[in-house]
Amino acid sequence: MKNSPKKTHKTPVTASKNGKTGFRLPILPVLSIMFVLTYIWAAWYYADVLRMARERSFWVMSPDQMNFLLSKEFGGLWYIGRMLLQLFRYPWLGGLALSAMITLGTWCLGYAMRLSPRWRWLQYIPAGAYMMYIAYEGINLFFENEGGMIMGIPFCILLILLIWTALIASFSRKRMPALVCPPKDETRWQNWGQMLMLLVIFGIQAAWTELQRPYTRVIAKENVCLINSDWKGVMDVARANAGISHRPIAAMYAIALVETEQIADRMYDIRLDYDSLYLHGQSGEHSLSLCLYQEDCDYYAGFVQTCMHHAIERITMIGPNIHSLELLAKCSILRNENEAAYKYLRILQDVPFEGDFVRKYMAYVGDSAMIADDPEMAMIRKLEPIHDSFENNYQQPTFMGYNLALVEGRSKNALYNSLACCIYTKVMPAFMMRTEPLQGQTPPENVSDALCLMANKDPGIMKRFTGLDLRYTILSGRIAEMKPYMKDRQKYAKELFPKFKGYYPYYYFFGNLKATRKNNDTASSSAGVN
Amino acid sequence: MRRLLYYFLILATTACTKSHDVPSQYTDVNEQAPIYPDYRDIVIPQNIAPLNFMVKDAKGLVAVFEGTGGHCLTVSGEDRIDIDSAEWRNLLTAGKGADIKVTVYADIDGWKRYAPHTLTVAEPIDSYLSYRLIEPGYELYRQLGLYQRNLENFTQRVIYENNRAYENDNNHCINCHNFQNYDTGHMLFHVRAQHGGTIIIDGDKCKKIQIKSPDILAAGVYPTWHPKMNLVAFSTNKTGQVFHIYHKEKLEVVDEASDLILYDVDRNEVRNIIAGPDFETFPCWNPAGDKLYFCSAHVKQMDNVPDSMAAEVISHYYDSVYYDLKYMTFDQKSMKFGKPEMLIQASASHKSISVPRLSPDGRYILFTLGDYGQFHIWHKSSDLWVMDLDTDSVYALREANSPDVDSYHTWSSNGRWIVFASRRMDGNYTRAFIAYFDKNGKAHKAFCMPQRDPEYNILLLKSYNVPELTKNAVNVSPGDLRECIYETSGDTARFTGNIKRSVDGSTGASRQLDGKTGASPKNGN
Repeated sequence: MKNSPKKTHKTPVTASKNGKTGFRLPILPVLSIMFVLTYIWAAWYYADVLRMARERSFWVMSPDQMNFLLSKEFGGLWYIGRMLLQLFRYPWLGGLALSAMITLGTWCLGYAMRLSPRWRWLQYIPAGAYMMYIAYEGINLFFENEGGMIMGIPFCILLILLIWTALIASFSRKRMPALVCPPKDETRWQNWGQMLMLLVIFGIQAAWTELQRPYTRVIAKENVCLINSDWKGVMDVARANAGISHRPIAAMYAIALVETEQIADRMYDIRLDYDSLYLHGQSGEHSLSLCLYQEDCDYYAGFVQTCMHHAIERITMIGPNIHSLELLAKCSILRNENEAAYKYLRILQDVPFEGDFVRKYMAYVGDSAMIADDPEMAMIRKLEPIHDSFENNYQQPTFMGYNLALVEGRSKNALYNSLACCIYTKVMPAFMMRTEPLQGQTPPENVSDALCLMANKDPGIMKRFTGLDLRYTILSGRIAEMKPYMKDRQKYAKELFPKFKGYYPYYYFFGNLKATRKNNDTASSSAGVN
Repeated sequence: MRRLLYYFLILATTACTKSHDVPSQYTDVNEQAPIYPDYRDIVIPQNIAPLNFMVKDAKGLVAVFEGTGGHCLTVSGEDRIDIDSAEWRNLLTAGKGADIKVTVYADIDGWKRYAPHTLTVAEPIDSYLSYRLIEPGYELYRQLGLYQRNLENFTQRVIYENNRAYENDNNHCINCHNFQNYDTGHMLFHVRAQHGGTIIIDGDKCKKIQIKSPDILAAGVYPTWHPKMNLVAFSTNKTGQVFHIYHKEKLEVVDEASDLILYDVDRNEVRNIIAGPDFETFPCWNPAGDKLYFCSAHVKQMDNVPDSMAAEVISHYYDSVYYDLKYMTFDQKSMKFGKPEMLIQASASHKSISVPRLSPDGRYILFTLGDYGQFHIWHKSSDLWVMDLDTDSVYALREANSPDVDSYHTWSSNGRWIVFASRRMDGNYTRAFIAYFDKNGKAHKAFCMPQRDPEYNILLLKSYNVPELTKNAVNVSPGDLRECIYETSGDTARFTGNIKRSVDGSTGASRQLDGKTGASPKNGN
């Protein structure tokens, strides 16, 4: 009688053929491992992305308020999906729910499909496909995407599989495979084949994210730091990923610098060349990333009314979302529109886990002392425009265009913002005009470097400011270093970045060279008077 | 006898007895209850839906409604009350023409009894109110629709909704719904962008038309349906939009040019009524159909400005554009218009008029007066005013107005009610408000259209746009409208030239807002 391999490999450690004892691969509880790996993926590796998907989504119990969603095809499913997505307010909680759904779904699939141990590796494919979809979409998960899909699809599949499993279990005597314990009906090779499948799925997913969408986690992480007003966190993330250059990363980094009063000192610590993003709107066509950060930039640059404009347009286009509603509440408070502030906070009150935000800002409504004491709002007050004008009068986006044309500001911070915008856009005549109030002083680092650059054409500049002499000496040496690469700036820009990181003249000659390229992409809906 | 029995039954069911809901111990407060929405001391239509309300932060709430003849209704709730429709109807039926005293008890740090307020029951209002629900202002649109609310209850039905999901080939906006004589038998609205055109509804049928011609300025915009003939006068506007960055107003909608056109529904023909350098907009027929009222502005700064510069120039002078109220006679037989005559020269007072609407008896013109421009729905200065054509007096409806936007008004068919859009609740979202207009031409305190959930307007992220009263419900189904909009491209209206004017040579006296009369300025049209 021949020995069946199944019988010889049932225990983790058995004697080898020649009688010597040695290490044998154990039979693993692959589904449990899958649960842990999925949990790590959802609650740590992709946590910020899923958290942001939640922040750009909206769910309340009331079907009336959710009619914008329920009246769509599959609206009911997306409603449930959005409800579950709310758990990602705390990624450990959302991760737990998602990994439980995925693991349970995988187990049900194996049972319902009556997969023999030999073919059991197939049961991991749907979970893998789902995770690949998440990785493929990247930042689209929180840009004009139906957030309900993230949790709604696994929920729907799980529900179908559970019903299917229950039906089969009712009519079949087949034993259910192990969910938590090591399976008893698998050979070592079959067991490790499944393990290999898992590793391949997670490996491909991570590799794809790191190689093809390296910006996804960076942008999401910065966004989460922004929500928490963790300016150091925003800067640390941006600087740690200084070579990854995308507009949303730069925008949030700039916001953090404005908030910490370093906008005229440290802007060029990250590369500002802006590689392309995989971003599509509701139409499926390529979209500009502006909508990802426009409202935030409006708000933190002091354009409260413009922020309201763009926040309402976001709500118009994608429906209510937590992020825009929070901004609208804060803007209304700043504009003393107390009833409107109450309205937005009241709506947010019904969103799970928004209690802290609502409690905090409800106290601000109509209380100018609290507004003045809030560091974030106090900074915005310093930056607000003094005079009215139209957004349309300025180069877009307004938070840049207005600062390029700033004539009068409320504070030194407003002046620094303006100077930072001028040197960023390399509009040097406008920059020089706006340096007048700093004459006789030592300007911030980036401004000093820009002045030194201009001093090449107008040596008189050196006498009008203090602290430029040493910088000018350094500039001469560094210009000499850059000179050989000037013939093809586009080609050498990335290569030179590590060497000249943080140095404005490098940016002046090699940075953001594509900025002048006209982008023909349009907004995602027709515009006009409604 | 039957009537007596009926009243007896009402009395029996609503007779005031001390309800067990009314707290036995309370503190009297010498002020009225802080109810939301504000339904205190208002005049209400006899057929209005229950005025449910809430008191913020209340842990208990009781409202006692005491009508005439001992009719009483006691309603209680936690922080809001939900009045039974049948009991409410009985209360209003019994209280017709009289006051209902409302006493509110609220448990806010202990039970309090507030000073009572009154509801005065007046004539009925038209049963249906149509409006568009859309996010407030700005440039973009996505999900929006035309809806019809039955004011006697809380039923809101869809007239038409655009595509719910984003689709490049189907994205479209809808606007400017209008009816003939409060009757849904003749209705129209525009569709913009994909599937564009004007939808004309005739009974239960609908068709799409294209009001386009190189000889008219642009497509038809603000409509007014002739009360007797199958004619629609439209303004045709070249419109732009700009956004304030700091002003208390949020945006400006400005016309670079505008004219008036006349569309003959039966013949599918269009012609210019006025086409020239002045800006004419917001046409409105009088009930007899022999006069067309409209707003008109002459913008000196726009004289001789090329089209390519018009948008830029007007955006510089947006706050010094003042619209006057004018009218033209119309001969229904010859289809000829008279010369434009000045009625109210608001520009002389550096004010501006928009949206004139004639009362059904033709005696009053209700309009919006603002500091400048014509898109008063975004101007906090805008208020409702009337001109009494019998006495030539012009005055603001102070009791109905608010410090915020009040505009886009409509009369009820009996002339006793006006419904308008106001941003008074939160400064951003327009809500439909109803105000009684008495026989002496005085408006009373306006109140918000009732909702089953009193908090509905706080939670709603859309504005009520262009409320229009009708006597009956729209007959065409959303499905039929969808088919018409999606499946037909629409016949293009035939342009038949400019309308000739009858020569009557009259130069009527005009009224200024300060009551002075002035001569009509020469009009180049």
